[in-house]
Amino acid sequence: MTEIAVAVRGLEKRYGAMPVLRGVSLEARTGEVISIIGASGSGKSTMLRCIPLLEVPEAGEVGVAGEWLRWRPKGTGRVPADKAQVAALRARLGFVFQSFNLWSHRTVLGNVIEAPVHVQGRPRAEAIEEAEVLLAKVGLGDKRDSYPAQLSGGQQQRVAIARALAMRPAALLLDEPTSALDPELVGEVLRVIRALAEEGRTMLIVTHEMGFARDVSSRAIFLHQGIIEEEGPPAQVFNDPISDRCRQFVTSHLRR
Amino acid sequence: MAFIADTLLQLLAGVPMTLELTAISVSAGAILAGVLALLTRLGGPASWIARGYIFVFRGSPLLVQIFLIYYGLGQFPAVRQSLFWPFLRQPWWCALLALSLNTAAYGAEVIRGGLLAVPKGQIEAGRVCGMSTFTLYRRVILPLALRQALPAYGNEVIIMVKSTSLASVITLMEVTGIAKGIISETFRALPVFACAAAIYLAINFTIAGAVRLLERRLGVAS
Repeated sequence: MTEIAVAVRGLEKRYGAMPVLRGVSLEARTGEVISIIGASGSGKSTMLRCIPLLEVPEAGEVGVAGEWLRWRPKGTGRVPADKAQVAALRARLGFVFQSFNLWSHRTVLGNVIEAPVHVQGRPRAEAIEEAEVLLAKVGLGDKRDSYPAQLSGGQQQRVAIARALAMRPAALLLDEPTSALDPELVGEVLRVIRALAEEGRTMLIVTHEMGFARDVSSRAIFLHQGIIEEEGPPAQVFNDPISDRCRQFVTSHLRR
Repeated sequence: MAFIADTLLQLLAGVPMTLELTAISVSAGAILAGVLALLTRLGGPASWIARGYIFVFRGSPLLVQIFLIYYGLGQFPAVRQSLFWPFLRQPWWCALLALSLNTAAYGAEVIRGGLLAVPKGQIEAGRVCGMSTFTLYRRVILPLALRQALPAYGNEVIIMVKSTSLASVITLMEVTGIAKGIISETFRALPVFACAAAIYLAINFTIAGAVRLLERRLGVAS
């Protein structure tokens, strides 16, 4: 599955008695931009967080760049068989959080080179060189020595995107990247993401920005109560969905 | 005036011992405190032991702890025959031991609070890029926890400077010990103790300033 950057199969996840994911399968081919939409509580963020195992699914498989994660039974459930494999899998992904989660004790540059140097073991000079290119790309070349607290939300999120790209990821996972931003800062972050889509980055984006999702994605997925209810090209999902629930959701959100 | 100057001069001779007791016990205590704080996070028997230790050493007076170690341990033949006896028979080592064990209990709670205050999202950001638990602690959790803990730990160091005065009750001639000596010869308690207090104030003024400087350099204040 070398063409497949990220894959999940039959993901199931529950919080206590509440099922959040009830068998979600998805394959992202290299170069695809997949937007994942759905009402809050539909399981879209949980699904995205299951890929790097920030949430551990009770059932189902997770694969990155052709390698499936191995499990071993523990008690009545299961745990990853090999911690090193989990770390290696994570290091091949870039994850962008809703709330940025930059390391507050490191500068912008420090945030971007942290994982390349201390996880991937790349030479520091090389990591800095690459980080400067990435920071220029997200429009923050002049902020390398600032601390996160000195930046606006939009700037912090753009640093977080540069930090994720510095991993040279097989895919970029973005979990509601603009939901924590003031309205006037949303645009600058969406512009960066759009540019990444145009250069052919593989991305999975959980978002409430329907117009944006329709424009940039190659495929869209509508999740409802832990199940993929509608899936297809954006023209179908946003303009002419088969599912009534999807139609309702999309029309109510696109109108805003 | 001449008496005050003379007294200050004599008391200053005790400053090195006061500083040594503080520096060594704070350093040793900080290492133990770090270990204890991490143990409390493990859960299970290790955390019960750590919590028990903190309960005992934080809950009983330092003065009593000094007495127990200096007068109490020697009651046990096993201690007198052990290879620690050459140390435990000396008041210097007993005071250091009591001070270190005591500050470790407080320090552990300060560090534990710092660990709890590390934002979850920043830990997750470390995990998600593939950090091992060790790297995560070294690069993210501990640096953030120590920044959080620094103001409270500075407070603990200041308390320790004052606590060293208790070492005088087991014959050590640090600042307070010397002061008591002078008083027993001159019976002038007020000026002598006032001089001693001034010396402690000067030391703590310096330490408080140093902590604030460190806070600013690490970006805690911002």
